[in-house]
Amino acid sequence: MQHLRRSVSSISYLNRSSLSRCTRFFATSTELEEKVEIPNYIQRSPTTILRALSQTVGFDPTAAHYKYHDDPYLIPLSNVGKRSFALAMESGRKSAKFIRQQHSNLFQHREADPPIEAFLPTKMYTIDSQVEISDLTTSIEHSHVSDAILVYALLKKNNVELTNDVKQSLLELLCFYNCEEPLEEDMIEERWFRQNQRLKERNRKTWKDNDTAEQLYYEIEPKTPQTYACIIRGMCKYYQVEKAYAIFQDCLANNIKLDVDCFNSILNVVRFIKESADLRWSVMLDLLKTMKEKGVSPNLGTLNACLNSISEMGSKNAKDYAIQIMTEFKNIGIEPSLASYYHILHTFCKDRGPVSHVLVDILNEIEGKEFEMRDIKDTMFFVTAMDVCRNHLYDLNLAKRVDAFLHFGENYNLIGDSYKESIYYRNYFTLLVQAEPFDKFMADYYHILVPHVYIPEPSVMEEILKAVEVTGAIDNIPLLWSHMICFEQISRDNLLALIVRIMLQNKPDLTIKTQENLKETFSHIAWDIWSKIEEKNELRSKPVVWTGKLLGDILRIICTSEDIDRASVIMEKLLNDQQKILGESDYIAMEDYVQLCITKKQPSKAIQCLQYCTEIGFNESKNLAKTICKGFTLDENHTRRVVRYAGESVIQEIEKEMQEESAAKNVTQ
Amino acid sequence: MLKKINLNSLIPLAQRTCFRNYSQEPAAVETVHDDDFRVLNLRKTKGTQQQLSRRPKPPDVPPPRYKQMAVDQDWGAVWPGPKTFHPASVPLPVRQGWVPLNKTVPGKFANAELMKIPNFLHLTPPVIAKQCEALKQFCTPFPKGLETEEQQEKHFPVQFISSDYVHGLPTIRNPLSRIVTIKLKLSQLKLDEHARDKFLRLIGERYNEETDEITIVTDRCPLKQQNFDYAMYLLTALYHESRTVEEWESSKQEGDMEYYNWHNNQSKVTSTEVLNWGLPGDSKVEPPQEYISCVENLMNEGENEYNINKYKESVVKMLGLA
Repeated sequence: MQHLRRSVSSISYLNRSSLSRCTRFFATSTELEEKVEIPNYIQRSPTTILRALSQTVGFDPTAAHYKYHDDPYLIPLSNVGKRSFALAMESGRKSAKFIRQQHSNLFQHREADPPIEAFLPTKMYTIDSQVEISDLTTSIEHSHVSDAILVYALLKKNNVELTNDVKQSLLELLCFYNCEEPLEEDMIEERWFRQNQRLKERNRKTWKDNDTAEQLYYEIEPKTPQTYACIIRGMCKYYQVEKAYAIFQDCLANNIKLDVDCFNSILNVVRFIKESADLRWSVMLDLLKTMKEKGVSPNLGTLNACLNSISEMGSKNAKDYAIQIMTEFKNIGIEPSLASYYHILHTFCKDRGPVSHVLVDILNEIEGKEFEMRDIKDTMFFVTAMDVCRNHLYDLNLAKRVDAFLHFGENYNLIGDSYKESIYYRNYFTLLVQAEPFDKFMADYYHILVPHVYIPEPSVMEEILKAVEVTGAIDNIPLLWSHMICFEQISRDNLLALIVRIMLQNKPDLTIKTQENLKETFSHIAWDIWSKIEEKNELRSKPVVWTGKLLGDILRIICTSEDIDRASVIMEKLLNDQQKILGESDYIAMEDYVQLCITKKQPSKAIQCLQYCTEIGFNESKNLAKTICKGFTLDENHTRRVVRYAGESVIQEIEKEMQEESAAKNVTQ
Repeated sequence: MLKKINLNSLIPLAQRTCFRNYSQEPAAVETVHDDDFRVLNLRKTKGTQQQLSRRPKPPDVPPPRYKQMAVDQDWGAVWPGPKTFHPASVPLPVRQGWVPLNKTVPGKFANAELMKIPNFLHLTPPVIAKQCEALKQFCTPFPKGLETEEQQEKHFPVQFISSDYVHGLPTIRNPLSRIVTIKLKLSQLKLDEHARDKFLRLIGERYNEETDEITIVTDRCPLKQQNFDYAMYLLTALYHESRTVEEWESSKQEGDMEYYNWHNNQSKVTSTEVLNWGLPGDSKVEPPQEYISCVENLMNEGENEYNINKYKESVVKMLGLA
């Protein structure tokens, strides 16, 4: 227990009205009444102070998101890790809920005061349970869709009469969720990491025909305008467009007053009602005119629905229509949301269309403003804008402006989910690495955002490695390699080939201070590549296939650091697992290896290499044999092996050459 | 003796358990064989053994993050709130723990001593300055006309004291928070001598003579507001009650007096008589005020050297003997 506050306040008999009659208690000097001016209290909500304090906390590039534990063992360093760590935590929460629900009789103690509803087990309903109308209303209130459906069925079985209000609210619940249990509200991580099924199911009818919602709709008598509006909106949301449009037409014919959201949902699905672009446009115009006739004033939803339909209409005039609609709504004073701008971008910046700079105009309009979520598609804006920056305009400055706008105020809340966030950063990073000077990119962006905000996907990593290859900034290679291990990208052939190629082609410059130890480090990295993949191949059912080229390159890098033990391990692999290795190594790697053997005086290992070369069938293997014979003083056994692999002629040629040499020497003497 | 008995009693027990185990084992094995579905092992894989040999690889642990921290970083962003010490996040070579003489104090890694003590890493001076700056928008200027303590006392004579509590429990209530104390100076109340006397008698020990303060503590109601109202009610009732004069109050005798009043006592009669002895006419000479106060002091405060000397001086002066 902690003593929070000991408040001492003095009560003024001047200011407290309830105590005004106390005035005469107190002895006051009446001759000089001084005026006391007490300033007014500044109004604030319970969380205002906390928000103000949280504003003072900046961004820490070394720390993981605060949902993870701040401990080296528990900080995720790959996309898979981020996902599984966060979801594991939430899964624990879920299983706790499951246990609580399963053994609800054990969790009936009510210690909390006031009781916290969310921590108590909810009521369970079965086919046999006795239910009342209040059960139905609480289920509706808490959005327990399946419970509500069950309770409603039970009530109907018991012939309990329900009021139309209750039926209406149940219908609204069922239409909103399409008779399916929604994801619980406190499952933040699951919502963040869930693969967006909505996107996949776009344009597909998911409305459950003849389910409880529709039955309920037919049951409600007399039907109010809300009932019609509810079923129309539900059907439009889940793309049961035909039925919805039929009901809508009936309502219009019978002069039933529909609300603006109902018109919006019909406007949203115009593309399913009519086939061609012109017909769609005319239907939209008709709908808008009807709205005017009926005295329904449009809102932001109307604007977004129109723009959405226009963007997917496929008309040549779509851009003109969109501008028309925007100006029209601007004139009646409706502030567009980010979703409106998303639809505009979608309309103007088509993949195969002409280049449009509409994003610049949009940014001029909205930069420096803070946005709130006002439409479900508001979250699509940033990812689309960055996509336009990279793929449509290829404009780095514009991308930076979009990023600044994203980080303005509370705008980051509109980034959407993990998927959108990673696409956003993928585009941003690719653009940065291609257009920004490499050193600046590493210092200002890579070191700050990787790995805690964003983890480059293999494609982005490839771009970064290519930039390293072009700029020759090889002192970044050790960092990038360790990140590749962390991000679990070491089984990518193209990345491995690229990094090995960079290490081979760029010899460290010993005069530069940052590259002094790089030769050793490269050799370590090469050995690391070897051992990590071998380790993986032992464990994994689907092993990475070695290519001879890659192995040869690794061998070459290791040879530069003169580490004969490690080099010979790789040589043995080349020799023994020839069937499993794709292709053959470069001959130059063999030469390097033999040279290393000569300096380390290991004739048998050099002869092993010769064996490999003859088995592969290099044309140059004779030269190699010569090098071996010259480099070592071979004993009988070794000579026999060389002869076996390279042929008798080699020895004779060497002897001849030696004779010639000595003859030449004699001549010069 | 005891040991022997214990051992003897244990042996048959052990034998019995051994025997039971032995007799049951073959049966158990048989049932397992009956239940198991026999697998035709064509490829000669040693399924279970292979799995056992696969030892879990220790995870790749990144270096502690304090190694990546910039020298000029914003510490408030790294350690924004109160939390237990963590060696990987704090870039300080701190040491803690008791060791014998001439041994090194343990470092920060795996040091439970550092985790036990509360740290104030989240409240460094720059952070406090920043937070104060952020909270300024909610502050109002100090009220005008209340700068000195006298002014405050004059305009706000009644002090109201209560406590709020926060604890790590499911409940947010604390019964102690209902207690309300009000304090005020007695001199702030408009009371005549009678009323003051009566007020003091009514309030009893709640009056502090040294500071001239009245303290009323109320805790009988369940809520703070109720207790506050009750305290204010008590104050009002006390005030008005002390100002009423009951009929029976006039029948107060000398024996009921709680202090010596010269005017009601024999001293007045005697001294007046002495002073007027042999004087003609009705005009009487009253003893001087100095004498009266000396007598009252002597009787109320008791006899001490100072009071007796004063008394002597005043008598000598009054009688003109000097």
